[in-house]
Amino acid sequence: MAIKLEKVVERFYEGLEEGKILGRKCPECGNVEFPPVYACNECGNYETEWYEISGKAKLHSIVLPAALSSKPEYKNLGKFAYGEVELEEGTRLNAVVRGISKKNRAELTEKLPLNCHASIFQREGGFKTVVFDLDEE
Amino acid sequence: MNSLGKYSRSVSIIGVGCTPFMYTVDNPETNGLTEGEMFGYAALKAMEDAGVNPKDVDFYFHGCASPLNGSNYLTPNVQIANWFGMKGKGSIHHSEACCTGYLAIEQAVNAVASGKYDCVLTGAVEFGDSTPAPADNVESPKHPYKRDKMTMEKFLKTTAWLYDRTYTRSLMAGQELIYDDAAEWYVRTRHISAEDMNNTLNWMCINNRKNASVNPLAIERRTYESLAEEAGMTLEEYMNSPYNPKMGDFLRAGGLELKCDGAAAVIVCATEKIPEIAKNLKHKPIEVLGIGSAACEATTPHFEVRATEEAVRQVYELTGLSGEDLDLFYSNDFIITSHLVSAEIAGYLPYGEGWKYICDGRTAWDGDKPINTNGGRTSFGHAHAASGLADMYEACKQMWGECGEHQVKFTPKTTMLRGYGGAQNVAAIIVRTLDEE
Repeated sequence: MAIKLEKVVERFYEGLEEGKILGRKCPECGNVEFPPVYACNECGNYETEWYEISGKAKLHSIVLPAALSSKPEYKNLGKFAYGEVELEEGTRLNAVVRGISKKNRAELTEKLPLNCHASIFQREGGFKTVVFDLDEE
Repeated sequence: MNSLGKYSRSVSIIGVGCTPFMYTVDNPETNGLTEGEMFGYAALKAMEDAGVNPKDVDFYFHGCASPLNGSNYLTPNVQIANWFGMKGKGSIHHSEACCTGYLAIEQAVNAVASGKYDCVLTGAVEFGDSTPAPADNVESPKHPYKRDKMTMEKFLKTTAWLYDRTYTRSLMAGQELIYDDAAEWYVRTRHISAEDMNNTLNWMCINNRKNASVNPLAIERRTYESLAEEAGMTLEEYMNSPYNPKMGDFLRAGGLELKCDGAAAVIVCATEKIPEIAKNLKHKPIEVLGIGSAACEATTPHFEVRATEEAVRQVYELTGLSGEDLDLFYSNDFIITSHLVSAEIAGYLPYGEGWKYICDGRTAWDGDKPINTNGGRTSFGHAHAASGLADMYEACKQMWGECGEHQVKFTPKTTMLRGYGGAQNVAAIIVRTLDEE
């Protein structure tokens, strides 16, 4: 491998159009970068390789959207929260998790961490993104 | 993890200057003030305070969080040097958004510690409440000094620029978690109730406002007690009423910054050179012992907590100090929760107990664990880039015993400033008054 001037961002969004959620895996230490970037932030290796994530994940925290922390276009998400999500591959990121509301928040908080999975979501503006959905119990 | 090296030579703060934080366009006396006038005032006051002449200052750093939007400049440092007698001197502009004023100290100290310069000015100016007129777009020709109020709608649109365009804005969570992530983290890890967190958030607002009420430079000086009385309510009723509405999952309106206009500046000097350069020195020099720093882009879970832990770890490792050594603490609390979480991470307040200190009023200016004695971002105001230097102004004035009506009840010797901002940069600065030789 060699350090390449490569369009990683475009490939990531193209992958979503194809139904694939892509990260990048470090060939040296196995760390998965998600969302995908050039280098490994775990061991510092210059290069990473494309890797399709399994989508399995755990939710570790719950913050509900409110006046300050929402936008009109987020209505398309239905009921959702923000939180710390840990991918099966170990990567952690802030993400949207659907299926959480004021009604079930207390009950779900008691059960943290909660199993969830990645989904592809159509955003306004003509691109897709990644959100997570709670697993059916 | 980084280990910080010792500075090549000791560097001290010898003078500070600060404008009132204000809504310039709302007052005929201040409407029309410009960048050169604001920065120039703060810079000259800092030089006067240090007992130095502009000719003694070798270089200056200029901070402004959003120069294109707020000042219609790309190179704001170049435009204003002649306002404070430094025409022709070298300078650099930098922006780390709300953390600018803290990293302004870092830049200046490094420049002097390296030996390149002996005496440096570091300042910042921000018009957070207005933009050059007409406020239509950044491309249209602007009036030489008139400004238009910046609407909250426009401000919030520009804050999107703080977040990564490629992934973070698309994933939606990073930029929205700034408001409540730290509160959720504290509630979950310290096992307190949502009600206790609500009271703690309210008491941070009350304490900040109490501090601001006796600080002539603060933008909002009406105490919550007086506002409650005017509304015919008890303090507790008022803080939980529509006068202080819930804006976030935990956060209420009073816990948000008051964005405004202001400037502040600091003179730093090689400690060994002070007798030679600052012939009219007025105060004991305040040595910068070290500055830890870390930055976590907003997709990183608990970005504020993680970056603060790392910055604090670095500066304690370097200095050998701990939270027990701190007399005074400042936190950039444009989201007021910062005030609690950073003080606990730094060990200034005990783990899991900080919220009780706050609710008991012990962190107000007259308490035994004062925090943000100037009033913090929710009452002193937030002129984004300038806020960190305004905090350093206040810290130095407290350490010199020059705060008059809001002078803390003891003589603070060692102070930490926890800078935060720019989605999200963190600095942990420790300063200490030099002992008499």
